[in-house]
Amino acid sequence: MIAIAALLLVALGQGGWRSIEPPLSVAFPRDHGAHLDVRTEWWYLTGEVEAADGAQFGWQVTIFRQGLDPSAPGPHASSLRARHALAAHVALVDVKSGRLRHVERLRRLGDGLAWASEVDLDVGLDDASIRRDPAGALRVAAGALEAGFALELTLEPAKPLVMHGASGVSQKGPERGNASAYASITRWQVRGTLKLDGASRDVRGEAWFDHEWGTSQLGAGVIGWDWTGLRLDDGRELMLYRLRNADGSASPFSAGTLVLADGSSRHLNAADFEFAPTGTWRSPATQALYPVRWRIAVPSAGIAGELAARSDACEIDGRASTGTVYWEGPARLDGAAPGSGYLELSGYATSMAARF
Amino acid sequence: MILRALFLRPIRRAPLRFLVTVVGVAAGVAAVVATLASSRAAVAALQEGVAELSGRAVLEVRAPGGLADSVLGDLVPLAHAAILVPIVEEVALSPRTRTPVRLFGVDAFVDASVRGVAPAFAARAGNEDDDHFLEFVRGDGAWIGAGLARDLSLERGGTLELDVRARPVALRVLGVLPSGRGAAFDHLVLVDVALAQELVGRIGRLDRIEIVPRVAGADLDELRERALALVPRGAAVVAPAQRGADARGLVRSLEFNLTALSGISLFVGAVLVATTLATSVVQRARTLALLRSLGASAGQVRVAILVEAGTIGVLGGVAGTALGFVGARTLLPQMRATVATVLPAAPQSAIRFAWDHAATGVLLGVAVALLAAWLPVVEGARTPPIQALRGEAPARLSQRERRIALGVAGFFALMAVELVQLPAWDGLPVAALLGTLCCLGVLFAVLGPAVDALGALAGRVSRLPVSLRLACAALASGRRRAAWAAGAVGVAVTLSISIAAMVHSFRQTVIAWSDQSLRADFTIRPLTTRDGLPIGRLDPEVLAVAERVVGAQALDPYHAVEALHAGESVTVTAADFGLAARRGGPQLTDRTDPLAAIARAHAARGALVNEAFARRFDVEQGDRIRLEVGGHALERRIEGVFRDYGDSRGIVTIERDDFLSYFPNDAPRQVSVHLLDDADRAALRTALESALAARFQVEVLSNVELRTQVLSVFDRTFAITTALQGVSALVAVIAVLSVLYALVAERRADLATIAAVGGDRLQLAAVVVGQAAGLGLLGAATGALTGVVVGVILVSVVNVQSFGWTIDFHQPWRLLATTVGGVVLACAVAGLLPARATDPRRLADALREEAA
Repeated sequence: MIAIAALLLVALGQGGWRSIEPPLSVAFPRDHGAHLDVRTEWWYLTGEVEAADGAQFGWQVTIFRQGLDPSAPGPHASSLRARHALAAHVALVDVKSGRLRHVERLRRLGDGLAWASEVDLDVGLDDASIRRDPAGALRVAAGALEAGFALELTLEPAKPLVMHGASGVSQKGPERGNASAYASITRWQVRGTLKLDGASRDVRGEAWFDHEWGTSQLGAGVIGWDWTGLRLDDGRELMLYRLRNADGSASPFSAGTLVLADGSSRHLNAADFEFAPTGTWRSPATQALYPVRWRIAVPSAGIAGELAARSDACEIDGRASTGTVYWEGPARLDGAAPGSGYLELSGYATSMAARF
Repeated sequence: MILRALFLRPIRRAPLRFLVTVVGVAAGVAAVVATLASSRAAVAALQEGVAELSGRAVLEVRAPGGLADSVLGDLVPLAHAAILVPIVEEVALSPRTRTPVRLFGVDAFVDASVRGVAPAFAARAGNEDDDHFLEFVRGDGAWIGAGLARDLSLERGGTLELDVRARPVALRVLGVLPSGRGAAFDHLVLVDVALAQELVGRIGRLDRIEIVPRVAGADLDELRERALALVPRGAAVVAPAQRGADARGLVRSLEFNLTALSGISLFVGAVLVATTLATSVVQRARTLALLRSLGASAGQVRVAILVEAGTIGVLGGVAGTALGFVGARTLLPQMRATVATVLPAAPQSAIRFAWDHAATGVLLGVAVALLAAWLPVVEGARTPPIQALRGEAPARLSQRERRIALGVAGFFALMAVELVQLPAWDGLPVAALLGTLCCLGVLFAVLGPAVDALGALAGRVSRLPVSLRLACAALASGRRRAAWAAGAVGVAVTLSISIAAMVHSFRQTVIAWSDQSLRADFTIRPLTTRDGLPIGRLDPEVLAVAERVVGAQALDPYHAVEALHAGESVTVTAADFGLAARRGGPQLTDRTDPLAAIARAHAARGALVNEAFARRFDVEQGDRIRLEVGGHALERRIEGVFRDYGDSRGIVTIERDDFLSYFPNDAPRQVSVHLLDDADRAALRTALESALAARFQVEVLSNVELRTQVLSVFDRTFAITTALQGVSALVAVIAVLSVLYALVAERRADLATIAAVGGDRLQLAAVVVGQAAGLGLLGAATGALTGVVVGVILVSVVNVQSFGWTIDFHQPWRLLATTVGGVVLACAVAGLLPARATDPRRLADALREEAA
C-alpha cells in the first residue's frame, strides 16, 4: 500500500506526468505492470510465514518506482539516462526475538539491473524481484546477504483483485489530481524458502499485495499516514489508512476497504471506521514516537478490537538512500473480528509532505 | 690515536677536500634518489589513482574496446553478492589551462556506497542535497575536483568548459568535490554515466563494470569465477589494481632506464670517493709509515681508512637523499610529461618523503664509499714502515703490472660482449646495462697504462714546453690518483657521449620514419595540451565536415582500439590499405617493398604488425595471430612487419572496412588528408579550418608542422636525460679538482724547487693547468671511445629490449668533438683554482719545511 516511496523524492512538479483522475480504465494483467507515464508507483508485498519449527516471521518486499524525467528522450540520448529510479526495501522480522533485518536497493530503471515490464508484473532490481506467472502466481525473490537472509517465495492468490476507492480511484486530497490508482490482492497462500544466517528452511503463510500508482497524491497539510492491511480470521480483509495532518488530526480523505470472504469489496469513508492510536513506542535511534497500538472499529461490519504490533522495534531507517524513516511491521488484531496483517506508520521521523 | 692521525686531523687541515668528496657522493646519491622519487610520484600516481578511484571495488569486468552496457543485465545473478557499478571514462581537455582532465562517468544511484565521492549524493530528506543528487543523475552538469575548481576559479553554478571528442562542451558545475580525497580526485570531472556516454560518443558502451562485494570478507575467487561465467567472451574479471599495474607496465622500461642512468651518476660519485681516498692515502704515506713504525697494524690502518670512507658515505648519503627529494620536485614535471606521452591525464601526486628511498640513498652512499675504499685500503695497508719508505720514488708500471692491467681490461671487454648478447631479464635490459658497466671497467683498467704512456711520451717529445713536460711527469708519478681522476672524467664523458648517441640516433630514426610514414598533406586532430599531446578522439562529425571540403577519397581516418593477444594488451588500428597502396606505406623492418605487403594484406584480409608486436610475441611475416577485441575473435595472417615508434606494446593494423565492421561507431584519433598534386593546399587548408572551427576544437597541421610537433614531443621526452648528464659532469669536475689539489699539495716541494731556480708564477701555474688538461684529455679520450661503444649498446640492445623497436645508430660526431674539447678546456680552467696555490712565496715556505 501507500508506503514509503520516498526515494530521493523531491517535489518534481507534475509537469509532464499523468494524473490519476476518474473515470479510471484498467485492464489486467497489463495494469499489473509499470505505468511509466505517472510519477510514483509501488508494488508492495507484506506477509507472515511460519517455519516447520514454529518460528514466525513477518516479511516485506517492496519495489518503488519514481519518475524523474517525463520528457521524451532525445535522438542521441543514452538509454542509461535516469528517467526513473527503482528502489527495493526488503525486511524480515523474527516475531519471537523481535529482531528486524532490513536492506535497501536503488538503481536507475533500464540499466539491465533494474527493470519494470509495462505489460505484466515483472519488476525488480539487483537481487529483489516480483514476477507474475501466466497462472497468476507471484514469484518473489529477495536477497539480503548483508543482513543474513534471503527469500524465495511463491504466492498463490486466494482472493480476486480489488480496486480501492470510488470507481477504482483512491482520492487522497481535495484537488482532482490528489489521487492514485490502487489495486490489491488481499490474501495469498505463501510457500517457499527462507535462508537465514546460512540455514535454509521451508516456510508457509499468507501475504497481502498492493500495487499503487499516481502522480500527486497527498493534499496540502498532510505530513504522513498510518495504514494497516489485515486478514481477518473469518475470511474477510480490512484495509484502512489515516492521512494525518500536521496537527495530528486525521484528514477527511482517510479511507478504507472491506473485502468480504467472497471477494466482493466495500469502500469505507473516514466516517465509516475508527482508527485511533492507543499506545506508543519511541525509537531509540531517531527518538520518533510511533503509535504501535490502535483501536480499530468498523461498526457496520462488526469489527472492533485492539491492533498491536507483534514487535515494536520495526523502524526502517532509509536516510542513507531514500531519505525516509518509517515504521513497518507485523501486527495482530484482537477483539470481535480477530486477524493479523501489517501496520505502517509514516511521517513521524521525517515528513512525507511534498514527496507524494 | 690512529683515527685521529689518519682521519680527524686531515679533515681539520683540509676540510674543503673532505667536503668536496662528500658533495660528490651526495650528488650521485641525489641523482638516484631524485629519479626514484620523481618516477615513483609520476608512475605510482597511476596506481594510487586506480586505487583511489576504485573505492571499495575489488574486481572489475573489462574488455578491450569496452563492454556493451547490456552486460550489466547479464550480471543480475551476481547482484545478490555484489553491487555492480558501470563506469565510463575518457580524457578530455580543459581549453583554458590546456591540461588533460579525467571525465569520470559514474552511477550515483549506487556510487555512494562504493566511492563516497560526494557525501552530498546521499540524499537526505528536507535538505538541498536531494536537489544535488537529482540534478546529477539527470545529467544537468558535473561535480569537479577541488584542484580543477581552484585552477579555473570555479564554484557551484559556474560553467566548466571542456573539449570532449574535439567538441566544445559547457557543463554546469553542480559542486566541488571535497579536497583531500587523493590526487586522482583533484582534477576529476564527475558526471552521470549516461551523460558521459553521450559526451564521449559511446552510447551503449561502458569502459568497465566494478564489482563491490556486499559483505566484507567475500570469497573473491568464487566471485570472479561466477562473474566470468556471465560475461561475454573476451571480457576479463580482474582486480582494479591490475589496471594500475598495466599502466605502470607501459612506463616500466622508461622508469628502469632512467634509474639506471641516474645510477651512472652514482658510479661517478664512487670514482670520486676512490680518487679522494687513494689520493689521501698516498698523500699521507709518511704518516702511515710512521704509524706502522710505531706499531700500528695493517688492520688498524684499514679500519681508519674505512671509517673515513664510511663517514663520507653516511654524510654524502644523507645530504644526497635530502638533495634528491628537493631535486625530485624539479624533475617531476619532466617525468610527468614523459609519463603523459604514454598515459595522458594521469593523476598528479606530489613528491612525498619515502623512508625506503631515504634508506636506499644513505645505504647507496655508504656502500659506494666503502666499495670505493677497497683499493685505497689495500694501498694503505701495504704502506711499509718509515725505514722502508725512505728513498721510495715514483716508478713506471712494470711489464707484469701492465700485462695485468690489460688482462683485466680484456676480461671486462669479454664480459661486456657476452652480457650484451643475453636476452632481456623479465623484459628489462639488465644484462645489457651490466655490459655497459663492464665497458666502464675497461676504461678504468686501461687508464693506469695510459697515464704511464703519457709520462713516457712527454719524456720523449723534446719540443714540448718545459711546463707541459713537467705536468706530464707529475701525472705519471702520481699515476694512481691521476688514473682515478681521469676515470671520473671518462665516466662522465662516456655517459654524455652514449646518451647523446642514443638520443641522436633515436631522433634521426624518427625523422627518417616521419619522412616515410607521415605523408599526409594535412592532419586534423584534437587540440593538444600544453605539452603538445593531442587529447581524446574526434567526433565522427569532423570526418563528415572534412569530407564536404576535400572529398572522402582524400581522407584517411586513424582508428585505434585496445585488444588482447595471448592475454596481453595490444592496439588494433585501421588503415585504408587501398589508399596506402597509392600513397606509399610504412617502412618494413626487412626493408622489402611495403606496397607489396599492403597489397597482400588488402587482398587476403591480412594484417600488418609493428616491430614491437613482432618482437614481443616472437612472430613474423606469414604467422597467424588471434586477437580478442570487443567480444570478437579476429584471426589474421601477418603480411608485413613495419617500423613504428609510437606504441611499444604492439600494433596490429587491419583494413579499415574490416575494422569498422567490428567497431562501426569508433571515433577516429586523427584524420590524415591526402591531396592531389595540383590541389591548392593553402586554400583547402583555410577552407578546412573555417569549416571545422565553427563546431570543433581541432587543429589542422601541415605535413611540416606535424613532423615538427612529433620531434618536439620527442625532445621533451628525452629532456630528463640532460639533467642526469649534468649531474655526472659536475661530479667529474669535482673529482678533477680534488685530485689537482692533492697533486699540487704533494708536489709542493718540486714546485718550490722550480720556483727556487727561477720559475715564475705563470710557469708554475702552467704546470698545474697542464696536469689538469692532461687529466681531462686522458679522461675525455678514453671516455669518448667508451661512450661510442656504450652508445652502440644502448641503441642496439638496451633500446630494443626495452621498447621493442630498432633504431639506426647515428653518432653525433660534432657533439663528440665538442664534448671532448669542452671537457679538456673545463679541466684546464678547473686547474686554475689549485694553480692559485702555487704562489712562490708560499712554496718557499714549503721548501724550508722540506729542508728542515
